[in-house]
Amino acid sequence: MNGMIFAILAATIATVFAGIGSAKGVGSAAQTSMGVLSEDSSMFGKMLVLTLLPGTQGLYGFIVGFLIMINCGILGGEAPTVMQGLSYVAASLAIGIGGMISGFAQGKAAVSGISMCAKDEKNFSKAMVSITLVEIYALLAFIVSLLMVISIPGIKM
Amino acid sequence: MKSVRIIALKKDRKKILEHLQNNSLVHIRSIEEPKIGFVRTDTSAQIQQFEKNEVVTEQALKILDKIAPTKKGLLASFKGKREIVSEDIQEIAVNSAKIIGICNKIISLEKQIADIAAERVRIKALLTQLEPWEKLDIPMNTGDTASTAILIGTFPKMYDEVSLAKTLAQSEPDLIYEAEFLYASSNLTCAVIYVPKNHKELAENALRTIGFTRPLNPTSKTPKVKVKKLCEKDKGLVQKSEKTIEKMKSYAKYRDAIGDTQDYFHFRTEKYRVIATLDQSEHIFILYGYIPEEDCGKLDKICNKAAECIVEYEEAGEDAPVKLKNNAFTEPAESIVTMYSPPSHEDIDPTPILAFFFYLFFGMMFSDAGYGVLMVIATTILLKVWKPDKKMYNNLKLFQYCGYFTVFWGLVFGSIFGDAPAVLYKMVTGNAITMQQLLPWPTLDTQKDALTIMIMSIGFGLIHILVGMACKFYVCIKNKKYAEAFFDTGLWMTMLIGFAVLAAGMAAGELMMNIGMVIVAASAVGLILTQGRSKKGIFGKLIGGIASLYDITSYISDLLSYSRLLALGLTTGVMAQVFNMLSTLMGTGVLGIIYMIVIFLVGHAITIGLNALGSYVHTMRLQYVEMFSKFYDGGGKLFEPFSLSSKNFKIKNNDNDD
Repeated sequence: MNGMIFAILAATIATVFAGIGSAKGVGSAAQTSMGVLSEDSSMFGKMLVLTLLPGTQGLYGFIVGFLIMINCGILGGEAPTVMQGLSYVAASLAIGIGGMISGFAQGKAAVSGISMCAKDEKNFSKAMVSITLVEIYALLAFIVSLLMVISIPGIKM
Repeated sequence: MKSVRIIALKKDRKKILEHLQNNSLVHIRSIEEPKIGFVRTDTSAQIQQFEKNEVVTEQALKILDKIAPTKKGLLASFKGKREIVSEDIQEIAVNSAKIIGICNKIISLEKQIADIAAERVRIKALLTQLEPWEKLDIPMNTGDTASTAILIGTFPKMYDEVSLAKTLAQSEPDLIYEAEFLYASSNLTCAVIYVPKNHKELAENALRTIGFTRPLNPTSKTPKVKVKKLCEKDKGLVQKSEKTIEKMKSYAKYRDAIGDTQDYFHFRTEKYRVIATLDQSEHIFILYGYIPEEDCGKLDKICNKAAECIVEYEEAGEDAPVKLKNNAFTEPAESIVTMYSPPSHEDIDPTPILAFFFYLFFGMMFSDAGYGVLMVIATTILLKVWKPDKKMYNNLKLFQYCGYFTVFWGLVFGSIFGDAPAVLYKMVTGNAITMQQLLPWPTLDTQKDALTIMIMSIGFGLIHILVGMACKFYVCIKNKKYAEAFFDTGLWMTMLIGFAVLAAGMAAGELMMNIGMVIVAASAVGLILTQGRSKKGIFGKLIGGIASLYDITSYISDLLSYSRLLALGLTTGVMAQVFNMLSTLMGTGVLGIIYMIVIFLVGHAITIGLNALGSYVHTMRLQYVEMFSKFYDGGGKLFEPFSLSSKNFKIKNNDNDD
């Protein structure tokens, strides 16, 4: 028996949970920005940027999931042992949970940023920078997950 | 920056203001109260009139855009404005009354169309009302004949002959009547009731109790004729509306002229705003403003050419506006600085530093030679073809420089459209190869060498932060705040350098580590001794000093923030690889090749879109949050000269100084 099922589970955790965070964040931001656009459609470019900001978590989760697939014999590499498979699960939890919750939080920040930008377009850069303050936590989770996923195939367990 | 005062005769006011506006040299300064002996002219009435005209033109343009939209490509927004020469403004001024007339006409035509639409809605409502009466072949207001009363009306219920007879028999068994049913549905029955004249009252009472009502607006024509008439009227309205739209479309040729007129009135609004700031006496007026030092000579020349006047200069005060001056390499980044906040009187212009790090970090995050080349080519073409105005020119240049750095980092990380060359090599020869083996120069793999790149990122971060702190140091020295410079900034700088030496020592050896330790310890002691200096008592000073060491956490979090350089660089590379891999899934048949090309194009378009946005946003954040917080306050005012600021055209620069 090998740890393939665990590796698949890990890829799912990373992709799905981070995706949930982004989906919710982008969803609420998009709702707000559409409200703004119904009043003034010329703001589309700015609104698009602010709406997309909470979308990166899903991307990070996808990349971790994809790297697991490359390493564990689905798209390349060798099938992992049971312990390695479980390690993938453990590693994917970082971006799964971190991505999901930071996605929620960033979505909220994006909603406020969009309303701020709607009041005065000059606030755009301030809104943008404030929203990216949340991003670092998703990034840190991503880096941790990623470094672990990359090194797991080399560790004999 | 100098503050300037222009004193001239009132009769030359128009000429001088026009020259100033044409040459856009002076930033007008409005002083709240006029000097003693001078008065201000109230120009709000004129300004209101001009603004009204601006609104009218704006409305007319919007209507024209709706009725006769111009075909605008996605790229048209990069295109520069239409060029005119300054002599054309005279002509625009002459035509402005006529154009405003046309605008009003367009607006009134628009109103006509709205009226027609409302009328059509009314007709439609009438038609639905008449629909159930279609079978009635006498006019709806037909009166009684000599012996028979005719009652036309509706019941709010479904009736047929039997059920009506039953209902009426209950209340008026004696009633003689004849009913003709024209329409019946569950909540409406249209009927004509014939009764002998002597039974009319009886019938009316009986019918009223079961909800019989006469139609609201009976006509003297049969419903069929009426419907036909209404339909004809509606057709006529449609034609009229089409004709009106045609007429409006014929005005579309004035679109440019309307735009010109809009700008013309905007110029005049600006001019009258300036007139309101002038100090005026019976014969002379005084204009206050700011001017960059290098333009003083030019201003002298222009004013003396225009009229008899005195131009005086003084050193500008603290609330003077700032004009950023940068070379071709750094100027594009000015917009990034002003987006944050223009530098105040006490700040130094951070643009040169920001520009270099902005390009560098953007390149490191976007990090793909293929994408970089695309950026450079796209911006070069746009710059050549569209000849954009200054602002757009700088934006395009910004991305061009970012593109060069993206190419550089792409080559360092061995990424050209991800691993596209390696994938192609494998498809053609069947042998797997990595980008490292394919490229003749040593490369770093973002995945395998992630740790190295992470250390590199934080190293860049350290340099970035140290440069920011060095700026703070310089500003403090310039303002003679020596304690702040050496103790608050300098000691932290040596502390950070100490940590860097210490970290390098972990790899290089014992000696270097010891040197690092000494530097860190010395800086820490220095900080403990100096950071509490504003506190009272030896004990307070000591506590303050020790507490300040806690600031190290903020520096650590700043430094870790630079790990995004690795994270985003890696994201670009991996996403590109993912799409490359997906594109080869269908094999090398004809269909497979088509599939590959489609997936390759779409996939890389997605990667470019998402990652360019991410790189742009995160580079900006590193500048604003990590570096600017070290030395830059902003809060200044930008130098905005009194000029012909136009929306729809640009005035050709004719630099004829004679």
